[in-house]
Formats: sequence, structure tokens, C-alpha cells
Amino acid sequence: MAIESTADRVTVEDVSMVYDGSNGPVEALREISFDVDPGEFVTIVGPSGCGKTTLFRIIAGLQTPTDGEVRLDGEPIDGPGPELGIVFQEYHLFPWRTVAGNVGFGLEQNGTPAPERRERVQDLLELVGLEGFADSYPKDLSGGMKQRVALARALAPDPDLLLMDEPFGAVDAQTKTMLQEELLDIWDATGKTVLFVTHDIEEAVKLGDRVVVMDREPGRVQEILDVDLGRPRSRSDRAFGSYYEEILDRIG
Amino acid sequence: MATDVSNELDRADNVGRIVDSLDSRRVLLGALGLVGFVGLWWAGSTAQPEYILPSPLAVGLAAQSELASGTMQAALFNSVLHWLPGTVVGTTLGIATGVALGWSRFLDEALTPIVRVLRPVPPLALIGFAIAWFGIGHAGAAFIIAIGAFWINFYAAYGGVEGVSEDLLDVARSLGVQRQLGLIRTVVLPASLPEITTGIRTGIGRCWMLVVAAEIFGAPGIGRQIFRASNSLQVDRVIAYILVLSVMFLLVDTAFRVVQRRVLAWR
Repeated sequence: MAIESTADRVTVEDVSMVYDGSNGPVEALREISFDVDPGEFVTIVGPSGCGKTTLFRIIAGLQTPTDGEVRLDGEPIDGPGPELGIVFQEYHLFPWRTVAGNVGFGLEQNGTPAPERRERVQDLLELVGLEGFADSYPKDLSGGMKQRVALARALAPDPDLLLMDEPFGAVDAQTKTMLQEELLDIWDATGKTVLFVTHDIEEAVKLGDRVVVMDREPGRVQEILDVDLGRPRSRSDRAFGSYYEEILDRIG
Repeated sequence: MATDVSNELDRADNVGRIVDSLDSRRVLLGALGLVGFVGLWWAGSTAQPEYILPSPLAVGLAAQSELASGTMQAALFNSVLHWLPGTVVGTTLGIATGVALGWSRFLDEALTPIVRVLRPVPPLALIGFAIAWFGIGHAGAAFIIAIGAFWINFYAAYGGVEGVSEDLLDVARSLGVQRQLGLIRTVVLPASLPEITTGIRTGIGRCWMLVVAAEIFGAPGIGRQIFRASNSLQVDRVIAYILVLSVMFLLVDTAFRVVQRRVLAWR
């Protein structure tokens, strides 16, 4: 499969975010710092209200922090762009475009010639297991399939970093397990750097090389855990359980 | 996975069949209603003199004689000669302005006062300008029609653009769309196409109504024929020309609905 690839190092340095609330300033994030190595899979987990979505939007370049900065391979991120592949919980597919049209969107923007584009779209659809659905519209797809399209679309322009915000939060448990395994396979095949936000501790432990554990009021990094487990990982494994308990203790 | 998809496709098919069966029921009941209406009209016309309410048959005969002399075709042709350019120009400008103000906060804030002042002006109130600027004839009538089309399409496009999801714009930006015009072309226009096409459709209908009004000052066409027949109390001819308007509206509206359905097949 011709999915060529690059991966980059992410540096989050002293990122703080303060909003103007009606009762004075609200501190959403306090001095968040961590690194993600090239090709690493890092999950960010925390309770609702810990500012993880704000952090996600800052790293994605969709929001500017009050303080601190995010760098991608040394270059500050100052806005969204093709070097960042973004996958949202709610898919956000372009409903007027077919599956192939959605996946090819980024390639149209970067001027990839049509024949090459078709080929790459085909490769990506194979990668996410949707080769038979190139001409379907999003309305005819299930939630899991939509998220596969969103993933292929984010991968198409060959981003340096794949950023995912609770991508499997809106699908049923069975589909979720399947998508998690597929994501790990794709990560394996492409070697991308992945930053994955979730509120699900089990998911964070199952997927991450490392887990950034966040706490709230204000949103801050509690701890960064190395998950020293081989893959595939199973919830019933004892070591898995102790990682799970440790995180639960910290944020519970 | 393949199975859960085919289930969903099946379900869509079932919905389609239900809609089809509803349609045949609709056609039947609609035909019944129409026959009932004509029947009532007929019954009513027997109790009234011709100049109050002519019978359906009298209207049919009037239409036939207008067709035979070629007057009706010529009137229709003349009306189309200002309806078409008026609708096209008004629709295009309305959509363009609506998208511009819906998208740009700067333009919105700068131009909203003007919009508020101009919006309540009925197209017919501008007849003086129509004559002064464009003369008595097709151009003047087209101007009146264009004004009517403009506002409907302006508000439809404006509302459509306002409703475009911020998230889709974020996605487009993250996939490399940088310029505003690029965002408008790749996201804003397609996302607001449902509203825009509804506006076009509403505007097309409204413009057929304006055809009559726009011909009040002398432009030739169906409206002109209606005024003339009214002045000589030939109510059968009035109704015959009204029916031409209805038929034209129906034809154009149906054709546009087909186009709209195709363009919005993704919904």
C-alpha cells in the first residue's frame, strides 16, 4: 500500500488558558507541558471539565492560548493546516460530498493531480476498510463508517500529527472496540504521531504508549504515565487493571 | 460491518417505498379535490351572469380563441421576455449579496441599515424609477421583477450562510483551505445550497406574480391582457390568462424541483 508517511515531535510548553467569565476570569488550563515523540501514540485522559477539549483545540491551532505555545518539530503552531490531521467526535464530514470526495478534499487543496488523487483515495479507503463505499454519501453510513471516513480524510494530506478528540465517543461499544483496533493497525502501518483525547480511562490505557492524566479546576497535568504493556492489550490483564486503578485514583 | 450497512440501505429503500405509495394517494386525492372545485365553480356559474362568474366552459372557449388568434402565445412570449431576465438577474444578485453579508461581519454591520431601509419597499413602489431608468417596456418590467427576486434570494442565502457549521469550516481549514474565497467555495456555498435553492424556488413563483404587476404601466404580456380584459368586463378572458400564469408557474416550479432534488441528492 502506497501510504507514505512522516511523523513529527510535538512540544506543548507552559500552555495556559484563561477565559473572561461573567464572574471574573476562568482558568481553563494551567501551565500544561509535555512532549510527544515522533511516531508515539499519546492519550490525554481526564474528567469532563478538565479542559482537554480546549487543549485539543489549542494544539490543533483552532484556538490561541493565553500563555505558552505548541510546537511541531520546533515550529510554533499558529493555525490549522495540512500538517495537522484532525478527527472530531462528531465526524464533521462534508454531507454534500461522497466518501471519496471527503477523503480527497485535502488532496484537492494541496493541488494533487487527479489521477494521483484517485489512487491515494482508493488506498486510504482500503486502509480503513471502505473500498466499496467510494460513491456513497455520508447520510447512508453508520457512525463507525463515518468515523473511518473522517480518519481517512485526515490522513490524506499526509499530516505530521494526527489529533483526535474523543473520536469513538459517539459509537456503540462493539464498534468502538473494532475502531480502536483498526486505529492501532493504521498507526502501525503509517507510523504517525498520534495525540488522542478521551474521557475513557480504559481507552486511554489500551491505546497509549503514554497517558497524560489531567485534573480539573484548573485543568492541569496530574501525571504522565508510561504504559509498559505489549499490544494487543486486554482489560482483563492484571497489569492493565493496575494502570486503570492508578489513573482512576488520581482523577476520581 | 458490511451487514450493518446493508441494513441501513434497506431501511432507506423502505422509506422510499412509503413515500411512493403516499404519492399515489396524494395524486388521487388531489385529482378529487380539483374535480370538486371545478364542479362547484360550474354550479356557481349557472346562478350568476357571465361578467360575475363565467362557466369553466366559457373560460375554455375564451382560451381557445386567444390561442387560435395567437394573442395568448404572443402575450406569454412577451411576459417571458421580462420574467426571465428579471428573475435571473435578481436571483443572482440576491444570492451574491446574501452570501457576502452572511459571511462577512464587516459588510453585515456596514450594510444592515441600508437593508433595513430598502427591504420594506414594495417592488411596485419603484415603478417611477423603473420607467425613468429603464423606460416603458421589457427592461422596466424586468427591473420590478428583479427587485422581488432579489430580496427573497438575499434572505434565503443570508440565512443559509449564517447556519453554516463552524466545525465544517475548521475541518476545511485543517485540510489546507486558507483564503476566505476558498472557504466560501468549498464549504459555505455547498452547505447553504438547501436554503439557496429553496430561495430560488420561492423567488421563481413570486416573480410570476410580479409579472402581472410589472406590466401595469404598459409593458406587453399576460398582465397587460388581464388588465385589458378586466376593463371590458371579459371575465372569461381574465380567467383564461390567469390560468396561463398558473400553468407556467407549475411547469417552471416542477422543473426546478427536479433540478433541486438532483442537486441535493446528498441530503
